[in-house]
Amino acid sequence: MAHRTLIATMGFDERHVLPSLRLLPYDRLVLVAGRETVRSAGFRRLRALEPALRTVRVDPFDLMGSMESIRETIRSAAKDGSVRISASGGTKILTNAAILAAFQEGVEAWYCDPDPVRLPVLQGVVLDAVFSPAERGIARALHGPMTHDRLVSGVASQGFARRTVLGALQSLVGKGLVEIGRDGGSVWVRPSPRFALFRDHLRRVPKKG
Amino acid sequence: MVSARSRFDRRKFLSSGPTDLGPPMTVLFGTLGWRPQSLLPSIRSSENLERVVFYHSDHAKSREARAKVMEFCRSLGVAVSAVEVSDAFDLLHVAGQIRADVRKERAAGSDLRFNIAGGTRLMSSAALLVCILEGIPATYVHDETYQEIPLPLLRISYGAGLTPKQRDVLSFLVHNRDKDFTETALAKALGVHKATMNHHVRELEAKGAVARLSDPTDARRLIVKPAPGMELLLG
Repeated sequence: MAHRTLIATMGFDERHVLPSLRLLPYDRLVLVAGRETVRSAGFRRLRALEPALRTVRVDPFDLMGSMESIRETIRSAAKDGSVRISASGGTKILTNAAILAAFQEGVEAWYCDPDPVRLPVLQGVVLDAVFSPAERGIARALHGPMTHDRLVSGVASQGFARRTVLGALQSLVGKGLVEIGRDGGSVWVRPSPRFALFRDHLRRVPKKG
Repeated sequence: MVSARSRFDRRKFLSSGPTDLGPPMTVLFGTLGWRPQSLLPSIRSSENLERVVFYHSDHAKSREARAKVMEFCRSLGVAVSAVEVSDAFDLLHVAGQIRADVRKERAAGSDLRFNIAGGTRLMSSAALLVCILEGIPATYVHDETYQEIPLPLLRISYGAGLTPKQRDVLSFLVHNRDKDFTETALAKALGVHKATMNHHVRELEAKGAVARLSDPTDARRLIVKPAPGMELLLG
């Protein structure tokens, strides 16, 4: 049986969460909150209303760590049915982490503070799908600065047409993940500082369908 | 022997555009709360900084922080604009306002960056939404270390997740939100076959961009309505 999971961020004041609980129907409730929140009176009141709620503990001042935890929670819940996010509770950083996670995983997201606002997430459009197989091939080959020729021939040897590799390289430049420049008479390619943030996405093989 | 890494000169890799024009000037956008320290690291770290545009609330402490940021920018000889944003507006309204400013700077050919660390939750989240939709490199600044942390955003428009045809259909529905359209009426209005329209509507529905709802006056008819918030996706 498919379940509807609502993942909500929460701070000390449960009143930021209640509007989304009223508005968004769910079978399972997951609260994403910091350690101090879980000990708070607001959390105890909410648990009294929803004894079956699950809690994901995060550091609400660590945006990247919180985002990864929320993404994992989304992926896990999506195996059992639909997922929605309510991003209006908790710290500003936790809210932003939830918004980023919703866009990266392509799940419906709401901001209810106090009026409900649905964020323009395209459902099912996940970040991993943005990268072509040739772009993934480049990411596997590019660990530091390399000459353009060596990179292109290396990726082409994985079974990609040279023209496809060149197109993929330009696409990665456009996305801000790779930088191309001339140095010492050769054209060099190197990962941008932002590349590391996407290494996991680039290495993951997307599901078909 | 000189290694490839040590030979590398980062300045030659800053621009992927024509080299004779030089790297474009940077406009830094930011949200500001009570602490100027949340924005200053991005001002210091921006290369070719031409201008700083930041948003702040009408709170007295936020105005104090504004004065400090403006003083800092002037001491560096960098142009600066401060925009006061009221929390009386909703998230999408504030995001729409920021997006209009961002697009104006982008049309002028500037490279854009955004620091979303400061300001109210509403302001910061609205800025993040704009960065996601417009593909603007964004950072936040750690509360204690004041270290700049880049966010995982690509330089691509989020709206590219729609095909041009899907975009046309969604745009038509958003502009005619107050009217009711069946798939057949939509097909007629946009000049495509109804089977083609059915395909586009199904794809848009799967992405959560539209919903097909029963007509309250005739249960046999399904009305196609855009989902809330899609105005911002289309820009």
